[in-house]
This record gives sequence, structure tokens and C-alpha cells, in this order.
Amino acid sequence: MNDMRVETRSQKIIELLSLGESRDRLLAFEVPKDALTWTRFCGSLLLVLLILLFFSGIFMAFYYSPVPGTAYDSVDFALFKIPFGSVVKGIHHYSWNLLLMVMGIHLGRSLILGSYKAPRQMVWVTGVIILFFVPLFIITGDLLPWDQTGYWSTQVRLSIISSVPFIGKSAARFLLGGSLTGVVALTRFYIFHILLLPGFLVLFLAMHFHFIRHRGLSEPLGTDPVFRPRIPFYPNLVNRWLFLFIIVSVVLAIISRHWTPPLGDPADPTDSSYIPKPEWWVLFLNQLVSVFKGGLAVLGSTLIPAGLAGLLIGLPFMDRSPYRHPAGRWKILLSAAILSGFIIGLSIMGYLEHFVLVKH
Amino acid sequence: MITGVPLATYAIFPALKDNPGSWIDFGSVENLELDNFNMLSYEFMVKDGWIILPQRGFVWARADAEKQIKIFSSTCTHLACNVIWQEETQEFICPCHSGRFNAQGMPVAGPPSRPLSVLEHKVTDGNLLVFMKV
Ligand code: HEM
Ligand code: FES
Repeated sequence: MNDMRVETRSQKIIELLSLGESRDRLLAFEVPKDALTWTRFCGSLLLVLLILLFFSGIFMAFYYSPVPGTAYDSVDFALFKIPFGSVVKGIHHYSWNLLLMVMGIHLGRSLILGSYKAPRQMVWVTGVIILFFVPLFIITGDLLPWDQTGYWSTQVRLSIISSVPFIGKSAARFLLGGSLTGVVALTRFYIFHILLLPGFLVLFLAMHFHFIRHRGLSEPLGTDPVFRPRIPFYPNLVNRWLFLFIIVSVVLAIISRHWTPPLGDPADPTDSSYIPKPEWWVLFLNQLVSVFKGGLAVLGSTLIPAGLAGLLIGLPFMDRSPYRHPAGRWKILLSAAILSGFIIGLSIMGYLEHFVLVKH
Repeated sequence: MITGVPLATYAIFPALKDNPGSWIDFGSVENLELDNFNMLSYEFMVKDGWIILPQRGFVWARADAEKQIKIFSSTCTHLACNVIWQEETQEFICPCHSGRFNAQGMPVAGPPSRPLSVLEHKVTDGNLLVFMKV
């Protein structure tokens, strides 16, 4: 009886909003049953983390004040004086760290199982573009709290950007809106971080899903593509997502409560003793930049990173064979493994140099 | 064209203006310890968009017995960390990637390949003035 009333009320609302057609389409929408397998777990986790980043970011923006004199205090206030401050900032902080790692796994899975191949090239390309957005978010986000770490990492990143031939200097000046890392720069970084980048990210995410929908999920290897059971998208998949969302939020909230997200000392451009340490995800780039000296510096700062990025985006157009099983694609996988080995090796070198062998 | 040009100009404008720079007073030359690099801190006001903010930092100044003065910027030519003078080794070291510069500002070890920049200076009424561009 009660159920009936709810049913009719929601029916009325749907009617009022003329959403009947959309509802029918949603209920009829089916996805392959293998959408729920564990090898596809990373994609769902990424979606959850992104939503968490958006939510926590919007909440932090309630208090954040993008002016050098007050930015630090506003973050400090939101973190320590507001109930659940450490949870909100912590979810943002731990989510982006986790996001980057999970994206790496997501991409690796697609590489190993060959799901970037035709007809899914554009799924891969939009995915790689989304991956490249994350560093932009981190570069602009890091400066916002206006603490030592953020300020000095920004100086280092700006001088790497400036060292890119031809466009580097103008790009850095455009980012900063001048030559100072001050109020104009912070305002710009803020608007990039919370408006422009999220806008573009959502656009590419929509494209990613558009291509997945139209080109389908790749068939699990070694199964019969003709007999592929299907399940309804709603409620089966949507419920899984909601469940995952709740679990991840609770886990990250508990982590943030225990390990308060970092906020360094207020930025001090005169502090000569402060040594910026690169974050884990840039260690390899940092190392590339310091391995090549003098005239070869463009190699490390521009050509090699650009080349790697090009290889990554262009992969589905270079590897055109329809064959997907890893055993038959050892050349591609071996090259990928060697390149990843280099990146990991450089990261370890960077880690040793910056965190283990530091001398004062 | 009609919308693009104005909008691009709007966004880029502040990046086009160069900061003119100015002479900063570092006090009496007599205060410099001779034959050694002195860390001189500065704080001066610069216009940053719509507000005027203090700009802080330091330079390395050395005066020898003949009152010959040399001023180095503290900015490492590799990736912009602040270099520190080590009296024992007579070198500037950069904490970030262990770059080293000798007392003439030339890079001697590590990633830096360009010498430390020398800042223009003058002595007026016994005071050391350095031309700073931010
Ligand atoms: C891929 C998405 C995103 C990434 C990787 C990211 C990354 C970051 C990083 C690295 C910081 C510095 C603080 C820290 O590490 O704890 C930060 C701060 C901030 N972010 Fe994000 N962010 C993302 C999305 C968003 C969105 C969508 C918004 C708002 C709509 C937002 C709003 C903020 C605000 C207001 C701050 C400053 C407050 C503080 O640092 O406590 N972020 N973000
Ligand atoms: S910034 Fe000085 S050695 Fe890299």
C-alpha cells in the first residue's frame, strides 16, 4: 500500500518533468555481464574517486580564499577549526593520489588485454587525455594552500615549463599572468583548478563514456563473443557504483581522520633552507630533467616527455593488428615493459637522491 | 575574430607587461664582511595586478679589500632554488639537485649549466644599491 503511493508519486514527478522516455531508455539499457568482473574494477573506482574529488573540492571552496595573504589561513581554518575539516581536505588529498595510481592500473590493464584496439581507439585516446589532465589539476591545486611545499614546487615546475623551447616562457607567463607568483597568479590557478579544468575534464569523460557505449566493452579474452550474457545497467551496475562510493568514502574519511592531510608552513620565498621535494608521481620527470645537462636539457624537459606522450596517445594507431591475446603481442608488451621499467628506474633514482641521500 | 581577439587579450594582458625593476638600498657598504659572501635580504614593494605586495628574497654580495663589489642572484640557474654559500668549500651549493657554483658563479658540478646571474649595483653615499627585477 505504502509502496504503491511512493510508486505513483514518483511516476507523477517523472510525468511532470516529461522524463518518461528517458526512464524507459534507462531501464532498457543493458551492459554485458562481464562489466562486473574484477578486471574492470578500476574504471568504476576512478569514477567514484572523481566524484569524491568534485564533492570535496566544492566543499573546500566554501572556505577557501584565493589571496596570498589569506589563502594559507583560510586553508588552516577549514582544516583545523571546522568540524570534519580534515575529512573533507583529506578526501581531496588522498583521492587524487589514489586516482593517479588507479589510472595507471586502468591503463595497464587496457594495454595488456589489448582493449585499445579497433574499434575502441577513441576510448583509449580520450582516456589518455583524461590522464594528462591530472597533472594540470595537481600543478594548479598545489599552489592553492600557499604553503612552503606548494610555493616551491610551483617555482620548480614553472622553471621547467619556462625551459621548454619557443613556447615555454610565454606559457609560464600566461599561467602566472605576469612574472610574479602572487595574487594574479593565484587567482588564475584557482580558476583553472575549479572551473576550466573540471569543465574540460567532464567533457572528455563524457566522450570516454560515449565511445564506450557505442563501441562496447571489449570481450573478455577466451570467451565466445556470440554468447555474452547481459544485465540491466540500472539497478545492477548503478548499485555496485553506489556501494563502492560508500565504501571508498568511509575508508578515505577514516584515513583522513587518522593521518591529517599535510599542510606545511606558510610560503616564504626568502627561506633558503627549504628544499622542495618532488612528489612521487613526478620523480621520473624530475630525474629526466636533471640527467640531461647543458645543450641536451631540451631532451629531458621536452623531447622525451613529449615523445612518450605521443607514443601513448598514438598506440592504437601504431599497433593495428586485431590480435588481442597478450601471448601473441609480446613485442608491444615487451617495449611497454621496458619503457615502464625506465620510468620506474628513474623514479627510484629520484627517490634515492631526494629522500635517502640528502645532505645538508 | 570579433570575440576571440578581445577575449584572448583580456586573458593574456598582464603577461605582456614587463616589470621595470628598481634600485634597492641594502644599507652601508661598511657592513659587508670583506672577502666573503654576505647574504643580504631584501623586501621591497612591487605591484602585482591590483595590489602592492612585499617581494622578499636575498642576494649574495662580496666586497674585497679594494672595495670591489660583486652581487650574485641567489636563484639557481637550473630550476630556481636558492643557492647557499659554503665558506669551508668556497662554493655555492644548491640544495635541490646538488648543483655547485664556484666563487665566480660558474657552475662546477651538478645539473646547472649557466653561471649565476650577476646583478647590477652602485654605491651612492656609502650605501649599496642593487638593481632588482622580479
Ligand atoms: C582530478 C581532479 C582534481 C585533482 C587531481 C585535484 C588536486 C588538488 C591538489 C593537489 C590540491 C592541493 C591540496 C592537497 O593536496 O591537499 C587541491 C586543492 C584544492 N582543490 Fe582540487 N583537485 C581536483 C579537482 C577539484 C575540483 C573539481 C574542485 C572544485 C570544484 C577542487 C577544489 C579545490 C580547492 C578549493 C582546493 C584548495 C583547498 C586546500 O588545498 O585545502 N579540486 N586540489
Ligand atoms: S635547482 Fe639548483 S641544482 Fe637544480
